[in-house]
Amino acid sequence: MSRKKTKNDALYLSDRQPLTTAKLISLIISYILLIFWAFVILWPLAQIVMSSFNGNQGSYISIGGEYKFSLKHFTYLFNETYFWNWVLNTIVVAVATALLTLLIVSFTGYAYSRFRFSGRKASLMTIMLLQTVPTFAGITAFYTLHSIVAAVIPGFTRQLFLILIYAGGGIASNTFILKGYIDGVSTELDDAARIDGCGNLQVYRLIIMPIARPMLAIIALWSFIGPFLDYMMPSILLNDPKSYTLATGLHTLINDQYNMQQPAFAAGGLLTAIPIVILFIALQKELVSGLSSGAVKG
Amino acid sequence: MKYGTTVLDDIGNAHPRKNLRLREKGVLEEKLKQADKSERAAIRAELKALPKKSDHPYEKDLRAVRDQEKKLLQGTKDRRRKSLSEIKDTDPKIRSWLLEAAESEERYRFYEQHQDLSYDFELEYKKNFDIADQLPEAAAERRALLDELAEAETDLQKANSEDHATAKADFEEFRAQRIAERDEQKARLKQMRRDGMISAKALQNERKMTDLAADEDIKSKKRSLPPAFTKDRVRNIRHKLKTEAVKKEKLLNADISDLRRRTPTETDKRIPWISWLTILLPGLGQLIIGQRLKSIFFFLGSLYIYLIAIPYSLGYGNYRGDGIAGLFSLAEGGARLDRSIIFMIEGVIAVILLVLALLLFYFSFRDVHRNEKKEIRGIRLNNWFETRSSLRRDGFPFIVSAPAALVTIFIVALPIAVTMLISFTNYDPTHQSKFVWHGLVNFKQIVAGQGIAGGPFWLITGWTIVWTLLATSLAIFIGFTLALLVNQDRVLGKRFFRTTYLLPWAVPAFITIMFFSILFSPQGPLTIALNNLLGNTKPADMLNIKYTSWGTRIVLIILQGWLGSSYIFLLSTGILQGISKDLYEAAEIDGATGFQQTRHITIPLLLYQTAPLMIGQYTFNFNNFSIIYLFNGGGPFEPSKYGNMAGTTDILISYIYKLTIQNQYQGIGSAITVVVSMFIMFVTWIGFSRTKSFKEEKL
Repeated sequence: MSRKKTKNDALYLSDRQPLTTAKLISLIISYILLIFWAFVILWPLAQIVMSSFNGNQGSYISIGGEYKFSLKHFTYLFNETYFWNWVLNTIVVAVATALLTLLIVSFTGYAYSRFRFSGRKASLMTIMLLQTVPTFAGITAFYTLHSIVAAVIPGFTRQLFLILIYAGGGIASNTFILKGYIDGVSTELDDAARIDGCGNLQVYRLIIMPIARPMLAIIALWSFIGPFLDYMMPSILLNDPKSYTLATGLHTLINDQYNMQQPAFAAGGLLTAIPIVILFIALQKELVSGLSSGAVKG
Repeated sequence: MKYGTTVLDDIGNAHPRKNLRLREKGVLEEKLKQADKSERAAIRAELKALPKKSDHPYEKDLRAVRDQEKKLLQGTKDRRRKSLSEIKDTDPKIRSWLLEAAESEERYRFYEQHQDLSYDFELEYKKNFDIADQLPEAAAERRALLDELAEAETDLQKANSEDHATAKADFEEFRAQRIAERDEQKARLKQMRRDGMISAKALQNERKMTDLAADEDIKSKKRSLPPAFTKDRVRNIRHKLKTEAVKKEKLLNADISDLRRRTPTETDKRIPWISWLTILLPGLGQLIIGQRLKSIFFFLGSLYIYLIAIPYSLGYGNYRGDGIAGLFSLAEGGARLDRSIIFMIEGVIAVILLVLALLLFYFSFRDVHRNEKKEIRGIRLNNWFETRSSLRRDGFPFIVSAPAALVTIFIVALPIAVTMLISFTNYDPTHQSKFVWHGLVNFKQIVAGQGIAGGPFWLITGWTIVWTLLATSLAIFIGFTLALLVNQDRVLGKRFFRTTYLLPWAVPAFITIMFFSILFSPQGPLTIALNNLLGNTKPADMLNIKYTSWGTRIVLIILQGWLGSSYIFLLSTGILQGISKDLYEAAEIDGATGFQQTRHITIPLLLYQTAPLMIGQYTFNFNNFSIIYLFNGGGPFEPSKYGNMAGTTDILISYIYKLTIQNQYQGIGSAITVVVSMFIMFVTWIGFSRTKSFKEEKL
């Protein structure tokens, strides 16, 4: 008996199991949840973008209402505030922090990974423990410490002190991350280089640094991003609006009645967020791997 | 220590004593040890009757040889002059090597006759023999290299002046040929692609490889053109000249140090007394036992101790403090401008400097002491070459970690120490300039929940714990759920969802928090929307999130769920993608439903791998200052319960911030900081001690 071939009789070729009704329903629910959460995330972010361009607002943000495209909040931000100072300060602090961290950590990571010296484990543990104490624990001392150092070394600004605090706060965890990374690299290369007559520093420069470059890049990146995200330390240490970083600077636009300029804040926030978001999206894998290997730090 | 009849070298081999006087003593001492009571007196008498050092025949012999040695050494200058005129070579290195070799030859002939008398002579003999043996050879090799260099340089000149038309033409021909060959290969590849024999990716790779191969061939051919080739040769020889010399000298030094390790020394000394005598002046001991260059470094340490550490801790050179004494007095009874906090910090600095000084004392003493003990046993001290190479090996990690240590001590440890000290003082608004030690009063106030500042402590602690648990758990829950949902096989648009869910993490948190703070402000868009939703139209009924404590609390928790889920999502996505498909297939064959698979495979694996990171998330939120402070400033306030210092949504860290920075209750703020820090240290420690790297002792 010959049967007509229908569409249903076609060979089922997919790797997956056939889609049952129950599965279809759960898939639909999944989509609903996913799209809902995407909306929850995108709506406020979209509002930041919209309100920074909405010329129909005074010093308060209003949503709904008439929309008029304008750049006046950006003009306000550039002309009436110290926005460019804040950008410059943040970049200076961030770059200096990243460089200092790299300089210090690349050596300690190498030393702790490749050398066995007395007090190695003890010192690392001590610093680890010290570092779990949050940075704010020292706030009372930071002020006075700065005034003492500034009296001895004129020109030692609060920003420099901020850089030192940021860099110092990251030494242990970053050393730990880098050490773990270098540990994963076989010592055969070092040994070969040593046999060929390389000294410690040459091994560091010619072998370890090139190999550890990906992890160093991650460490540098995180140290660089840190100052962009931190509000607390600059708000404690910096006292002159001109010397503020972006986080503290933008906060001045919304925290008191007289300077209130919410749309300008949105504009500044947008300008700050864009490069960082691009950075995060482009390098998400690296950033997450850096974070998870540094999981020890709270 | 007993003299014994043998001495040890560094490797641990025993050598018979060559110093007959000490040997006699050693023999008698051994006899004494084995003898019974009756014989002991006799042996002691014998020991006493041994001739004095100056009268001993062995010493007389030795002195005679030493005199001869002196004469030999005095003649060095004349011999040098003579051999200098004999050496024909002009290269300075070769001249100095040959000179050295000639002198050493003279010397080893002298020491050879006396090597049975003392190990010092034996060492000198062997050392000079090695020098006389190796240096002429090295010089000859260097000469050969120099000749080769001269030859190569003339070749180069010739090659530069000559016309290489034929060679160049050859090269051009080769190049054209190679390029044609390459293009042909590429065309063949293209054809293969057209025929469907290789994939587009393979075509791309193969093309790249063909290009590279051709390029390399052409380049290497170019390098073998006469001028380039000779140029390379010249460079090569120059480099060799530079490194060979260093290598040869290193080799010789290593040989000599090997000899030193294997040749013992003999000394009269039995007690390491120099280290004890010079304990107060690091460097002096090293100088006395003959390690001159090393002593310079320890003398620098002495300078630090006596010019910096000690004066500073006595109060000299302080900024405004009084050294260690300031730590006790805290400027009490001082001038009006003296501030207790400065006295305290400088006191702590003084303590740090003193600890470093003590470490220096200890290391210097240990160094001398060990060396003295070694010498008594018969082991020779390190010479500078050996010290330097052992410093390079063992000292390197300390030297390169020094900046990190300095920063950590002064930027991390010092402030923490000061905060701990402040928690034992009455540093508050009425005692800003001068405060005194106060015992445990602050801690008692916190625990009892008393006083203006300590009152709300327990309320705030309660909310902090609730906040930490709820906010973090919510974020983890959302993050996990999203990751599970997105990573289903059938979900399309994974890339879009992943990028979107990343955004709350990517946008700096302070921006979103401040923006939400605006949206929830009394006239803010979300407040209005919320009230429209609830049907509150009259201004009197209007619900205002920021004015109600439970409202702010709920919004804070949800907001942190929004912010924190991103990171959890990213993390768990990574882990989910790493779980092997085999597990699910096996489960399917065994009849597990999708839900069962998630419950018994995915979630356990996810939790297991992310557990330490989750602990990190909890401690992070415990200290999440920005969200609390930036959203509503810790408010709304409720003075009847919380006093004037804290709002109802303040967590411990923002409370500390308000106490110390805004209201100047530094004493009690520090006490809370100490308690909080201990707690966090404890939690982190637990999380950390469970990580793999810690368990495997790989630290």
